[in-house]
Amino acid sequence: MSTLDQRLQRLPPSLRPLEHERSGSGRLWRVETVVLLLVGLLLAIATVNDVVLGTHTNHRLVADLRTWRDYTGHDYKNVSTEQDIYHHTTTDVVCGNTVPGPPKERVQICLQMTGPVVHGHRAARGGWYLPANTEKNQRRYRYACFGTSKAQKACPQ
Amino acid sequence: MNVAAQSELPLARTRATQWAAPLAGACALLLLAATAEIVLDGAVGHSSLIPKSPEIAGWLSGIGERLGFRIFLIAVLAFSAGYAGLIAAARGISKRLALALVVALHAIVFVGPILLSTDVFSYIAYARMGVEHGLNPYTHGPIAISHDPVYHYVGPDWKKVATAYGPIYTLISYPFGLLGVNGAIWGMKLLAMLSSAVTLALTWRCARARAIDPVKALLLVGANPLYVIYALGGAHNDLLMMALMMAAVALTFARREGSAAATVVAGALVKATVAALLPFMVLARRSLAQVFGALGALALGAVVAYAVFGVDGVNIVAALNRDAAFVSTDSFPTEIAHLFGKPGVFPVDHDLLKAALVIVVLHLLWRTWRGYDWVAASGWALLAISVTSTWLLAWYILWPLPLAVIARDRRLLVATLAIQALFVFHQMTPLLAPVK
Repeated sequence: MSTLDQRLQRLPPSLRPLEHERSGSGRLWRVETVVLLLVGLLLAIATVNDVVLGTHTNHRLVADLRTWRDYTGHDYKNVSTEQDIYHHTTTDVVCGNTVPGPPKERVQICLQMTGPVVHGHRAARGGWYLPANTEKNQRRYRYACFGTSKAQKACPQ
Repeated sequence: MNVAAQSELPLARTRATQWAAPLAGACALLLLAATAEIVLDGAVGHSSLIPKSPEIAGWLSGIGERLGFRIFLIAVLAFSAGYAGLIAAARGISKRLALALVVALHAIVFVGPILLSTDVFSYIAYARMGVEHGLNPYTHGPIAISHDPVYHYVGPDWKKVATAYGPIYTLISYPFGLLGVNGAIWGMKLLAMLSSAVTLALTWRCARARAIDPVKALLLVGANPLYVIYALGGAHNDLLMMALMMAAVALTFARREGSAAATVVAGALVKATVAALLPFMVLARRSLAQVFGALGALALGAVVAYAVFGVDGVNIVAALNRDAAFVSTDSFPTEIAHLFGKPGVFPVDHDLLKAALVIVVLHLLWRTWRGYDWVAASGWALLAISVTSTWLLAWYILWPLPLAVIARDRRLLVATLAIQALFVFHQMTPLLAPVK
């Protein structure tokens, strides 16, 4: 036994370091197990809830893309969707080329989708255009706003 | 128990052993097929699951098809199911078969492209900053070498971020920076594979020292889906950290306390998280050699870091504080925030999470002082760090796995595997509701 261990043996029995757990610590083990099970349950519920939320979001995005394709008459694959992550609303913006070409290398039309999914579609109540070769849908690049987007002054002019 | 029931027991065991071997074989084949599918499809490129990379696996690209979310997630599910079956049937697996399976999984991943993460390109960028451009990776982000060929492969979120890795890791990575981008990728892949081999060999050794089935221990770590696909597939430096962690555990088992503590510090100078082991190790063994070993390694590391990188190379705490503020969609705190109707975690949540972590660690320290297995306590601490972290990535929930496998408290293994299962399940949204 080291000098340190000899000194530690002077501590009250309930504070002394032990080499092995004492038998009879079953109650603590049970309490820990119950806490672990409760934490596990919370994490499991949170995970399932998140997957369900994600599934709903994906259904909405599918409806957004379908609506964009129906409105524009273009069956493009490379259409980008953007969610309102700052205000946590269900308003999405879907942008895609107005004429065939590489993604974002042509003038893009963006539609603002709102409301519930009805028969696999959502309402497109406004939108704007973006110049060719614009990577990001930022307000400063937008022009020719229409519908509710015009009233909301989503374009700089 | 009556006599009839007693006589049925060996029969039941024999039956269990009889089905274990074929089940294990089928599961092993499933693991190999799932890994090959991901690697071969990944080699085609043009997938959001495969980071933009120089063509290092071009010779495989004619075999598979472009890796989509659906196929990837099905392969991960198949791998996970095979893993569960393999562990259940571990008794029927010979040492030779287990080794062959783990080696084959490593080989398949090694020859393929970098999977799922751009981190390895950040490692290479930091190395090239130091050896090719004379820049300090602790004061500059990769954007400082935007003309370097590796820059285009660095993840967009990390282009302006200085390294958060320890100085030992940065020094280890420097020679790779001299090999060109392709050479560096292969070097990093080799380093990850060798680190994994060391981790697995030491897990085997520690399991034997604790009279735990080493074959099962090897499979639990070396055939784990997150370990193979995410950690090894991305050539993550967490594998090097885990190798040093297991070296420290093995040295403690061999009663080489000073070397063990020094090894933990070396691991922390690769990636700081592993420092969580040190207080548990010291409380359990209460040896002065540990204190001297840790302080000696820390002093040496600090002198080398200061000499090479200046004061920024020593101040790892600042980098950790910066990274602790990051938030990922896969983190459990984010999921809990969503559960309570919040859009995400807020600064106050970070404080609550830190408080929860402190309470857990204090409880574990007290339990270790009173004789609880320090290996298990260290594993719980690493698991608590990953669960409370707002920036959770697949390879973070691997940290406690080798410890869980050899811990005396089997709850740790169950909890670690359950957390991993929840993480995998959370990835499944694109499979349940694909966006087309």
